[in-house]
Amino acid sequence: MIQWNADLARRLQCRDEEKKDLGPYIARLMDLDRKARGEGFLSLESELPAIDDPLLEVGVRLVMEGVSGEALEEILATYLLIEARSGWPFLKACVAIEGLLALAESDDPALMARKLLPYFGADRALAALEELEKGSANGSAR
Amino acid sequence: MIRAIADAAGDSLDISKVSRQKKDALFELAARIALLSEQYRASHAAIARAAAAEKRKALKAGLDLLTVGVSRDSLESGFSASVPRPRADAGAELEWMLVRSGICGIAAEEHYSILMRRMTAFLGVEYYGKAELWLLEKVKRRKTRSESLVVPGELPDVIRILAMDKRNLERALHASGRDIATAALAGCPQESMDLARPLYGKIGAAALEDDAARLRSRLSGDEIAQAQATFLEVVRSLEERGEFRLGEEDELSADPEFVAALTKAILGLDSSLIKGAFRSAQGVLVATAMQGMQPAAHDRILETLSKKEIKRILDAIDDSDPLPRRALQGAGKELASRLFEAAAAAKAPRAALERLAAVRDWED
Repeated sequence: MIQWNADLARRLQCRDEEKKDLGPYIARLMDLDRKARGEGFLSLESELPAIDDPLLEVGVRLVMEGVSGEALEEILATYLLIEARSGWPFLKACVAIEGLLALAESDDPALMARKLLPYFGADRALAALEELEKGSANGSAR
Repeated sequence: MIRAIADAAGDSLDISKVSRQKKDALFELAARIALLSEQYRASHAAIARAAAAEKRKALKAGLDLLTVGVSRDSLESGFSASVPRPRADAGAELEWMLVRSGICGIAAEEHYSILMRRMTAFLGVEYYGKAELWLLEKVKRRKTRSESLVVPGELPDVIRILAMDKRNLERALHASGRDIATAALAGCPQESMDLARPLYGKIGAAALEDDAARLRSRLSGDEIAQAQATFLEVVRSLEERGEFRLGEEDELSADPEFVAALTKAILGLDSSLIKGAFRSAQGVLVATAMQGMQPAAHDRILETLSKKEIKRILDAIDDSDPLPRRALQGAGKELASRLFEAAAAAKAPRAALERLAAVRDWED
């Protein structure tokens, strides 16, 4: 659910060059989603060593444990709250949490992407969507 | 923006000023609150005793609120009014937030594992592993309950069919949400829970089973039936979206070629192999697989088993409903796979192994 808040929107602001990393990050979250849907949630265990963001790692572990919905959202928001992130790290954490919520609901990767793309901002979301769709069409199941 | 992040924005907290020693003490406090939540779920009276004995101011105030029956909606504001947030001391403020979260979780009768995760999140990701170990230890000491309340309906059969491909059952459970899935499973036989449990880790499986057992005594039959109807609606919706395909109604028998191949594979096996494999197999699996064999294979299997084993299998067959082709052949393939392993270990003739492998690898 999008619930805009001026203070948080300010904290989300980051440089354009940092936002370039958002595409690959969303693609990575979609990969996790594909793996969970294809091989089962517990198969995500093998992906954990490659995850270098502790918040994302903890979130994946929680999803594997069956935590979902409001409880998952509030636990992850608490982790974020005590870390006092802002700028790109805050934006990345918000995207991770939104992606984890979609993962826990077993959303398909395309739906997950549509939930995450607004974090690019209205002016970039369409181009990012086209880029992701081009990647899928080329069979780049990363 | 995610709602919980927006809600928590005014609650920002800098825990870098809190010492490791204080955080360790708060971890122990969280563990104590998690145990209290378990007691509260069993009997609300336990909280009054705990409140009377509690020395920590914030926790005592929260337990007092629970004792006098403050509603869940008013608990957070009631707690803030009873114990002002100590903003000047980072350690005390962290304790205040952790206790508030714990008290709200107790009032909501959350499972101790979720509550422990919720509270230890205030200590940072470095405490995740410590909480994991604490929870695993708690799960290990847990007494399992196997009572079941079966609400009449098609859900147990649907779960059995979905479980033939664990991804389907997993997707349905996740898509319906934990509350609906747990309430729906509360009205199913233990077999349905046994199929769902392996899809979660040890902690998640324990939480699912505990919550279903709790709902069994809390919800009415109508409420459970409503949850089951919602779950089935989710399954239908996933099927319509092409997420998975359940068997067609006109496919309530196995492919004749599959039946012939499975029958031949069974007839070509040594009695001791059949005896060993079928004795260790679940009755439901055998009963389902036997619907995909010719009578000659039934006779061959039953003649190797004791009277007690025969009764177990025949009872399971009596209890089983007609299943779609995919479910029947899935069970036959699973059984062939187990027989193949046993036959390979016993160095059975190559032809027997090849027949079993052909069934195991059958393309539906």
